[in-house]
Amino acid sequence: MPEQSEVFTLISQRYVISLLIVAAAVPAWFTGGPLFVAGLLLIAWAAFLSTRHLVRQILRTNEQKCSLDQQLIQSQKLAAIGELSSGIAHEINNPLAIIGQEVEWVRHILKEEKVEDPQQMSELKESLFEIARQVDRCREITHKLLDFARKQEPLIQSVDVNRLVEDMARLVEREAISKNIKIVRSYNKDLPFVLTDSPLLRQVVLNLLNNATYAVGKDGEVTIETQMGENGCVNVLVADTGCGIPKEDLNKIFDPFFTTKPPGKGTGLGLSICHGIISRLGGRISVVSEVGKGSAFTIHLPGGERKGEA
Amino acid sequence: MSSKARVLIVDDEERFRITLNKLLAVKGLDVHNVGSGKAALEELGQRSYDIILLDVKMPEMNGIEALAEIKKIDPQVEVIILTGHASVDVAVEIMRLGGYEYLLKPCPIEELLEKVDAAFERKMDREKRMSKAAATRTGPAS
Repeated sequence: MPEQSEVFTLISQRYVISLLIVAAAVPAWFTGGPLFVAGLLLIAWAAFLSTRHLVRQILRTNEQKCSLDQQLIQSQKLAAIGELSSGIAHEINNPLAIIGQEVEWVRHILKEEKVEDPQQMSELKESLFEIARQVDRCREITHKLLDFARKQEPLIQSVDVNRLVEDMARLVEREAISKNIKIVRSYNKDLPFVLTDSPLLRQVVLNLLNNATYAVGKDGEVTIETQMGENGCVNVLVADTGCGIPKEDLNKIFDPFFTTKPPGKGTGLGLSICHGIISRLGGRISVVSEVGKGSAFTIHLPGGERKGEA
Repeated sequence: MSSKARVLIVDDEERFRITLNKLLAVKGLDVHNVGSGKAALEELGQRSYDIILLDVKMPEMNGIEALAEIKKIDPQVEVIILTGHASVDVAVEIMRLGGYEYLLKPCPIEELLEKVDAAFERKMDREKRMSKAAATRTGPAS
């Protein structure tokens, strides 16, 4: 349904069109003949074009509104999950700390007192190693959850996005080369500086690059691009030639704990944290993907400033 | 370095503080533990410590309140916060009150030992400087 203001705009524009019809029809009425018919046809055509334009505009506005509503719902959902999960993470950290310490203590005892049977000793050590490893795994999850839920105010400063992106690209390039993954760069040299939080943005870009190289696996390409977007936005695109994301998963990828990685390989919090960070920076992340062809994530950062303004 | 450090663990989780006490003691530290902020203040009235490992979420008196009181009793003691409840606001408040370090549980024992060593070293350096300055002030008049 169109908004009230849109309906008013529509009515007022139709009113103007009606006036134009009357203004054109009155002299045509007096002169009569083919000129009169041609005038009417012209007016009808103008009215048709104008109405079509209005309808399209209303539809476009509605689409934009729906998209904004979806973004709002996603942000609210993530905020609610963040609050709940950080509470759980806090409560889990204490028992985890106790388990970790008990492992250390048993290790100490084993150093002091020898177990007779070497096989038993080896199994005990192996079990302790596994308990410690799983505590580390849980620790990583709870600490990331707390990162996700953290409402840290960004520290805004003027940032050269091209340089920041290139720093992160170099960071992942060494490992990418070893897997025969080519990092393709395309930077817009006229990109303005952006007022944003540099460490937070770096974290997001690195996360997207790591995801991209993981999706490719080996023998492929990861493209990183900076561009000017709509309304003065600065966009950072990270695309890969990897496995792609199934359509049914696309609306879940920013949800906490959603992961397609095997157990123990990913917490499913990376993209949720990225989404939260970019929202806090006043921007958004969009994604397009096709199974078997790859995915492209775009960070849309608001309002740049001209170079040298900092 | 840390072999002579006197450490007080303040945590309401009994099993946590007892095992940590044992782990630090076998590393040569002089360790005691108490289960609340109030008990920590009483303990400080009887003995002096170099380092306090302090939990934040405790009944009656939380870690932040305890830290403020501890610093009134002994401004020189180094306080390391060891908590499962991370929050930027709490961390900032702890630093403002003179806390030395803020660690999130579960923290690997090696990392904790490093922080304890560093805190003890800092306290020893400061005490050395203070005693040197005091000796200069009270030195023999020429």
